[in-house]
Amino acid sequence: MPIKETDLAVELIGITKYFPGTIANHDVYLKIKKGEVVALLGENGAGKSTLMKILYGMYQPDSGSIKVNGKDVKIRSPQDAMALGIGMIHQHFTLVPVHTVVENVLLGAGAEDKGRASVSEAVKEIERMGKAYDLEVDPFAFVRQLAVGMQQRVEILKALYRGAQTLIMDEPTAVLTPQNTERLFSFIRDFREAGHSVIFITHKLNEVLDIADRIVVLRSGNVVGELLRSEASERELAQMMVGREVADLSSEVKAQEKDVHKKESILRVENIKVKGDRGHWAVDSLSMNIDGGEIFGIAGVSGNGQEELAEALCGLRAVSEGQIILRDNSLVGKSVHDLIHEGIGYIPADRHREGLVLDMSVEENLILKRFSSSEFASRGVLSEKNIQLYAQKIIEDYAIKTPSSVTKAKALSGGNQQKIVIARELGIASSLLVAVQPTRGLDLGAADYVHRALLNVRNEGQAVLLISTELSEVLTLSDRIGVMYRGRILKVFRREEADIEEIGLLMVGVTHDET
Amino acid sequence: MKHNRRLWLSLFPLYSVFLGLALSGIMMLFLGQNPLVVYKELVIFAFRDIYNIADIFAKATPLILTGLAFGFAFRSTLFNIGAQGQFYIGCLAAVSCSLFFQVLPLPILLLICCVASMLAGGLWGSFVGYAKARFNANEFLLSMMSTYVAVAIMNYLIRGPLIETKGEYPQTDVIVENAWIPQLIPHTRLHWGFILALLVAFFAYFILWKTTLGFKIRAVGMNRDGARYAGINEKKVFVTVFFISGAFAGLAGFMEVNGIQHMLVQGFNPFIGAEGIGIAILGNAHPLGIVLSALLFGALKVGGNLVVQTSPIPSSIIGIMEGFVMLSVIVSYFIRERIIVASEKKRLREEERREESQ
Repeated sequence: MPIKETDLAVELIGITKYFPGTIANHDVYLKIKKGEVVALLGENGAGKSTLMKILYGMYQPDSGSIKVNGKDVKIRSPQDAMALGIGMIHQHFTLVPVHTVVENVLLGAGAEDKGRASVSEAVKEIERMGKAYDLEVDPFAFVRQLAVGMQQRVEILKALYRGAQTLIMDEPTAVLTPQNTERLFSFIRDFREAGHSVIFITHKLNEVLDIADRIVVLRSGNVVGELLRSEASERELAQMMVGREVADLSSEVKAQEKDVHKKESILRVENIKVKGDRGHWAVDSLSMNIDGGEIFGIAGVSGNGQEELAEALCGLRAVSEGQIILRDNSLVGKSVHDLIHEGIGYIPADRHREGLVLDMSVEENLILKRFSSSEFASRGVLSEKNIQLYAQKIIEDYAIKTPSSVTKAKALSGGNQQKIVIARELGIASSLLVAVQPTRGLDLGAADYVHRALLNVRNEGQAVLLISTELSEVLTLSDRIGVMYRGRILKVFRREEADIEEIGLLMVGVTHDET
Repeated sequence: MKHNRRLWLSLFPLYSVFLGLALSGIMMLFLGQNPLVVYKELVIFAFRDIYNIADIFAKATPLILTGLAFGFAFRSTLFNIGAQGQFYIGCLAAVSCSLFFQVLPLPILLLICCVASMLAGGLWGSFVGYAKARFNANEFLLSMMSTYVAVAIMNYLIRGPLIETKGEYPQTDVIVENAWIPQLIPHTRLHWGFILALLVAFFAYFILWKTTLGFKIRAVGMNRDGARYAGINEKKVFVTVFFISGAFAGLAGFMEVNGIQHMLVQGFNPFIGAEGIGIAILGNAHPLGIVLSALLFGALKVGGNLVVQTSPIPSSIIGIMEGFVMLSVIVSYFIRERIIVASEKKRLREEERREESQ
């Protein structure tokens, strides 16, 4: 089905973008037709956001060009993009909380060029757009008083007020409740009916199949597939996205299963409550047990309290109620430092921000949690020789590809950076290893490596808590799987009895009693 | 080849020092002076005799310490803008001890003054660190404001309890000779404090890169979240860093009071804190860089002062020179960063091409 030039709203031609240490986009071609919803699907770090920031003028591509409505354009800033009818709804809102809705809509919309902002006209326009697209908001409400879903509406109104004909939405459902998601989707459908286009960035497969006309899959900065919705299946998309057959570890895990006999209880979590950043109960009366020699996997849609649970286990977040018991010791109220000494390793979701100090060297990152132990320091002075010997050994044992042990961690590839984190945490995890999204953004080889490392920890008799939004990862690695939804574990399955369909339903909160 | 490139890039601040001097030269042209002549005279004056050469080092001594006061905290991405106030508090401690314990013998009296000035400056600074740790206060503003409080305390003490016996000017009595830091070279203003300042710079380097405390400081500085996840208590780091930084600035007060002035005059050396910030940035917040930059500023001051006295150039030209040098060095860091990023991109592109051709 050839596409005519005049039908195209936006065309990206051979976009390439380098960042120090990585290639974010590599020779990407993308066509968006008028009246079309295109989903950009990919794992975190696949280059979706970078590509859209280029289209929105926030980044400049290192090569390639952009056409809007068939004309070659240079987009040097978001102002340029808006002038061309391109709007973007960011994942983190760009509103001024202490201003009203109408003030936010007017801000930067060119009204100040005229010398005075015409509030009454803007209010009329907001009301008109609100009716047309079912996006009604009180124009005089202060943004800080609005719920998240309403704030997103304001963002959308802001873009529409600037005459957006192509809307880029960066993971718009990440912050929304299911009902709000449904309303957002109905807006997207209306917007498309009006002949406009939407680029929808996501890593959630069900949403893609729900809303998109066409699906473009990105992996490691490359376009790896392009499908019409009618041709797409969840399985095929998942495979394209992650780049590997999702069940390839199962047989190996099963083969190893017999080797593990040790079954002492290591971690007991009893009815804990943990507050999230917004003050709600992110973890709400959650209980679970993990034995030694067991991987306990938590499946769930991102944002259901998984990260808060992991942070509570590692002392980064206060536990308001309940008990956490590790080998008969209560962990509640202990500091991060104490918990490291209790033998809890933690592979955090964001290795750049949480797992590493990128500007420090490889060897400094390897001892980041143990630099004051007698092995590496005496009387407060670091023992450079011991640190170096240790680092050399780890670099060899884990095959970390680095020019030297004093190279800065930021110069390494993602896979090798993750190896640093893993090597360090395995050295600490004598009781429990908590791994959150441990393969996020890694290529096939590196992800395999991480999986094997987790299995090794389990085979040595330690307990592993694996938290991942990739269901396939949880299913292939875990001995038991708990499904987490809104801060609770709804049900626990043994792997052999795991029913993918039931897990999928539980992940969105549908329990069997209701169906 | 690659090595040469590295060296070339690491010498970037040096080129920009010359660029800054060249830009100041253009200013001199506007003032109707031949910059070449001015610079020639500046160098001749600065290095004319042993007295002037020694004076360069004497001028650099407190600048090294206020430079460290900013630079040390900067390694933890904390902004200590209050070195001026910490310096004054150190001055007050030093002069008070000198006057109060004047009957004590020289080594003991000096030791008391030295320790008192560091403790006073350190405690003054650690209030800022504590407020940041406890209340998440903004250390930039707080340390800046704390200088005004320190100035007020100094004004009160010098016009009140500490005023000279004659009671005429807002200044203290001259301290006894037992409280004077001995000269390093006789008949010059250079005293043993310079050697102490070098030792302090080495101490700062040692703390930062060789100890577990320094590890914490740098980890907090480079990635606060990462440090927290690694079990480092960032709040303790805030307080410790501000204590050490404040102690450096306080020690500068001891050097100036007991080494040069031998008394405390109200509101003297009012730019030593600000110059310290510039020197720390010029020296890339590295103790060695800070020592070298302080020496450069010392030379500009000594040579510049004499040029100004003997020619019709206005004395503000010294400030202009210092300003241009700082500006061009700061800009050079950004340019250097860009060059590094560009070459990194080029490397990636070549790597990719090689992979494709395989």
